[in-house]
Amino acid sequence: MPSRRRTLLKVIILGDSGVGKTSLMNQYVNKKFSNQYKATIGADFLTKEVQFEDRLFTLQIWDTAGQERFQSLGVAFYRGADCCVLVYDVNSMKSFDNLNNWREEFLIQASPSDPENFPFVVLGNKVDVDGGNSRVVSEKKARAWCASKGNIPYFETSAKEGINVEEAFQCIAKNALKSGEEEEIYLPDTIDVGTSSQPRSTGCEC
Amino acid sequence: MSSSDSSSSSSVDDPNPNPKPLDNQFESLNLEQESESTIIQNDDGEGQQDQESSLNGSLNVNRNNHEQDDRIDGGHVTSVLWRRTNSEVEVDGPSSPSSSGYAGERGSSGASEDDEIHEVANHGVIDGVFDSQAAWLPGKRHVDEDDASISWRKRKKHFFILSHSGKPIYSRYGDEHKLAGFSATLQAIISFVENGYMDELGDRIKLVRAGKHQVVFLVKGPIYLVCISCTEEPYESLRGQLELIYGQMILILTKAVNRCFEKNPKFDMTPLLGGTDVVFSSLIHSFSWNPATFLHAYTCLPLAYGTRQAAGAILQDVADSGVLFAILMCKHKVVSLVGAQKASLHPDDMLLLSNFIMSSESFRTSESFSPICLPRYNPVAFLYAYVHYLDVDTYLMLLTTSSDAFYHLKDCRIRIETVLLKSNVLSEVQRSMLDGGMHVEDLPGDLLPRSGSASHLGQHQQPTDSPGRFREPFVGIGGPAGLWHFIYRSIYLDQYVSSEFSAPINSPRQQKRLYRAYQKLYASMHDKGNGPHKTQFRRDENYVLLCWVTPDFELYTAFDPLADKGLAIKTCNRVCQWVKDVENEIFLLGASPFSW
Repeated sequence: MPSRRRTLLKVIILGDSGVGKTSLMNQYVNKKFSNQYKATIGADFLTKEVQFEDRLFTLQIWDTAGQERFQSLGVAFYRGADCCVLVYDVNSMKSFDNLNNWREEFLIQASPSDPENFPFVVLGNKVDVDGGNSRVVSEKKARAWCASKGNIPYFETSAKEGINVEEAFQCIAKNALKSGEEEEIYLPDTIDVGTSSQPRSTGCEC
Repeated sequence: MSSSDSSSSSSVDDPNPNPKPLDNQFESLNLEQESESTIIQNDDGEGQQDQESSLNGSLNVNRNNHEQDDRIDGGHVTSVLWRRTNSEVEVDGPSSPSSSGYAGERGSSGASEDDEIHEVANHGVIDGVFDSQAAWLPGKRHVDEDDASISWRKRKKHFFILSHSGKPIYSRYGDEHKLAGFSATLQAIISFVENGYMDELGDRIKLVRAGKHQVVFLVKGPIYLVCISCTEEPYESLRGQLELIYGQMILILTKAVNRCFEKNPKFDMTPLLGGTDVVFSSLIHSFSWNPATFLHAYTCLPLAYGTRQAAGAILQDVADSGVLFAILMCKHKVVSLVGAQKASLHPDDMLLLSNFIMSSESFRTSESFSPICLPRYNPVAFLYAYVHYLDVDTYLMLLTTSSDAFYHLKDCRIRIETVLLKSNVLSEVQRSMLDGGMHVEDLPGDLLPRSGSASHLGQHQQPTDSPGRFREPFVGIGGPAGLWHFIYRSIYLDQYVSSEFSAPINSPRQQKRLYRAYQKLYASMHDKGNGPHKTQFRRDENYVLLCWVTPDFELYTAFDPLADKGLAIKTCNRVCQWVKDVENEIFLLGASPFSW
């Protein structure tokens, strides 16, 4: 338990398989990119320390598997998230269309206290592919969708080239931090001796 | 045959519940069990039956038989020898394998505990060069490590607390924040099991074995606790340690933290526990030196009956004036304690409370008033503890339900302190600390007449006994019949007494190893699946261990590995008699808020 206050932020990355979730995380945390595709099994976990407005905090990044067979892990994985990152591939219309499903699934499973204002960030990844010639989702279309869902911040990224990755995660951290501000007040009771005397189990419970 | 591969033991169930002299029990048993079966194998592949007999974590399977302080020993078990015997065996004697005896033993007496795997040629390491245990330093060590560090991965025993969203709360080693990814992995494993079997709700992961490591999980609502250990301790012991760590957390915060998680799953508990590292590390350290952590009993400082009565009388006096519990302790030993009517205090609560107070330096420097929660008494609400050190080791705790009772309790303390000084209780306490407790060398008896033959504990009543002897830590020579050490636990008093360590159990490492052996014995005697057992006799290259459980007490003894069985049994009876003879001095009797 650190004596000085540090905040830990849980960030979930969601999106169809193959849109580059793991690559984005690797680019951000390790500054590395590999062309090899390796499907994530279940989830990968990485941590990154971030300085923001003179405060040090830790991002705990949950890189989840996009394959549908891992969806059953949802509740447990999404519980207590501070921010959810939705990723699609600008070269795949289906991955963009599915953003809505990912967002709704997350809100159902994580059931945050204030779903309207839960911080999402949307990343349109792989903008580098084919010099943008194979792109099928326009920035305009993506931004319109984000605006309709309560002005979700939007970034166009390339995990391969490292474009916008740092900026996107800065924004993710900022939004996660914002949502973490209203903390529960811890209010323990004091024993009322009239009612508290519990019979003690005799003998050995072990 | 060398001692390293002559493990043998027998475990016995006595159908007679009445405690009678121990030798009778063993005599009857020797008649019943003459057969012997021996299995020798080179790996644990044939251990199926054993694993079945202990679903929640078996003992001794695939483990080498020693440990280093904090590090994994570099050596690997390349060749093991596994021997099972039904009765105490002279190994080179005639052997008559008997499958019926084998099965009968398994069914009735938890023989799986008696399997021992012995690493061939490891004995040099046990007592030898690695025997340098550094003095324990309070507080967290190795803060710079994380799960990428080789050194972190080599630690023998990790403890973690995390939230149900995977946020780290505490780690024994390393920086919690750097371990956030590891913590998330632990949560994912726990959640995977919970989610993976939706048709069997309530499924929980309890134990994972990975090579020589055990990963033990304990889920307490939104709080997850995990131990990763290669210390070969039984699953039950490790789970008990996790329960204590959880209790320590509750003692500091109460279960009110659960409400925070209910309202806000991403709640971060770490700030609430700020500065309590040292409390947890001290508790974890006590797992290897304080038998109270597995006996669930407390121990008293030896004192003349009248002295303890005097202390109890003044504590009772203040308890009648609205104090819930008044406890006077010296280090981890109780001098006296009283509770208000109907209020009872669990030994585990006492352990956690005294650990909290002794590990927090600030209690020593001034009188304090602190909210604390006694998890076994009432886990959801706070009490208030007035704490004051009367001398360097002796401290008074007055527990109340009233948050504005500080000045009243201060007055109580002044009254108590005055009386304790006047009646010389405090000086007697210090004297007892110097004299120590029961020494196996002093075991009275007729077998080996000893000079002075001290027939009771109180050395100060026997000025002929040189008091200087008790201040020398390493002078002991062991007791009669090769008796090295014993622990006697009185069941209805919830108290135990442990003999002082003497040669050859001198170093902290040897003491820790003996406690681990006791702990294993305790777990096997209390194994719900196979137990309860009445007696157990084990012999390996380190000790003869003899355990005897009756409805009134439990006795754990350690002897020289070459000790004679018959003599050892007789000696156990003498130890029990001795304890009875001095019970006025070593136990807190009567007026106990613990019983009924």
